[in-house]
Amino acid sequence: MFILTKLADLVQITPSDFKKSSLDAIQDNINEKYANKVIQKIGLCICLWDVTWASEGLIGHGTGLVNVNVEFRLVVFRPFKGEVLLGRITSATQDGISIRTDFFDDIFVPFTELPDEATYEPQEALWVWRDEDQVMYYDIHEMVRFQIVTEEWHDQTPEGPLNMSEELPDGRAISPYRITASMKGSGLGCCLWWDE
Amino acid sequence: MKILESQNAVLSNYEVYQHLVDHQKTLKQKQRKGPGNLATLIKETLAYLKTTPSPLAKQEETHHYGPDVVARLLERLSQANLNQDLAKGEVLMILNLRPSSIAVLSTVIEDMEERFSEEEQAAILEVIAEVLGRDEAGAAGEAGGEEAMESVEGGA
Repeated sequence: MFILTKLADLVQITPSDFKKSSLDAIQDNINEKYANKVIQKIGLCICLWDVTWASEGLIGHGTGLVNVNVEFRLVVFRPFKGEVLLGRITSATQDGISIRTDFFDDIFVPFTELPDEATYEPQEALWVWRDEDQVMYYDIHEMVRFQIVTEEWHDQTPEGPLNMSEELPDGRAISPYRITASMKGSGLGCCLWWDE
Repeated sequence: MKILESQNAVLSNYEVYQHLVDHQKTLKQKQRKGPGNLATLIKETLAYLKTTPSPLAKQEETHHYGPDVVARLLERLSQANLNQDLAKGEVLMILNLRPSSIAVLSTVIEDMEERFSEEEQAAILEVIAEVLGRDEAGAAGEAGGEEAMESVEGGA
């Protein structure tokens, strides 16, 4: 679910941060820049893990910024294909079920990845799994187990006014990193059904 | 920004949990505040890791997970004499999810029924419960699992 990614970057320490120790200033700078951001094809950055190398600080001409080249490792949220995770159901439509973890919202289970017997109840806006005589609901806010199927990346680098669109045709915001998951198969779906 | 290595290592949830808790502690000791976006994310990530049925939910009281937990789990799994080893990803998911029933274990281990006999599956569950602990609510466990534990302990 979490990996370490090694990056190199230029950190610029402003004079107002000179009261901090150098390492603290570097750490704060990196965390501020990367925490809760998605790097394309890498994942959602959580926080700094460690600083592996840093150059001498250099002050350029004209500004008071201290420039430091730093190599560091970041904790990144990047579940691998086939990994099983826990999450909560946020909403259900006839297309499928949306799931979130507390820190990551863009997980979707399309209806094709739900059990074959599952049906959608439009009045209640819920998916229901009718297995023989049992009726089981995929309730909102229910804790579920799901398996990662694919991931989608949308680079959000600005491309100029002509191609500007921040929403999909259905009005949903485009997210930089989106996971498609499956709840088909035993052990997947609401945790309550399987825990003994 | 330059990416030197996109995947330098894989972390278990416990390692991330510990890192975040330690980070909060050092900040408090130095009486310093980190950037706001990080504080929010740490709060959310810790909340996620501490929600039941996550095995870290009661970590502060039980301390089932520790720095040597991976080594201990692998050692006990090898003592259980399984006919083949588990893949790295499978062990990682076992650490992160702590399966307590056959159904959940089957999501974590690919082709479990073909690779492991029923006794071996029960043995794996017992090793998990022994090394990683289990929820108090599910402490009764399965009868089949209990028997397997006795035989495993007898063998060891």
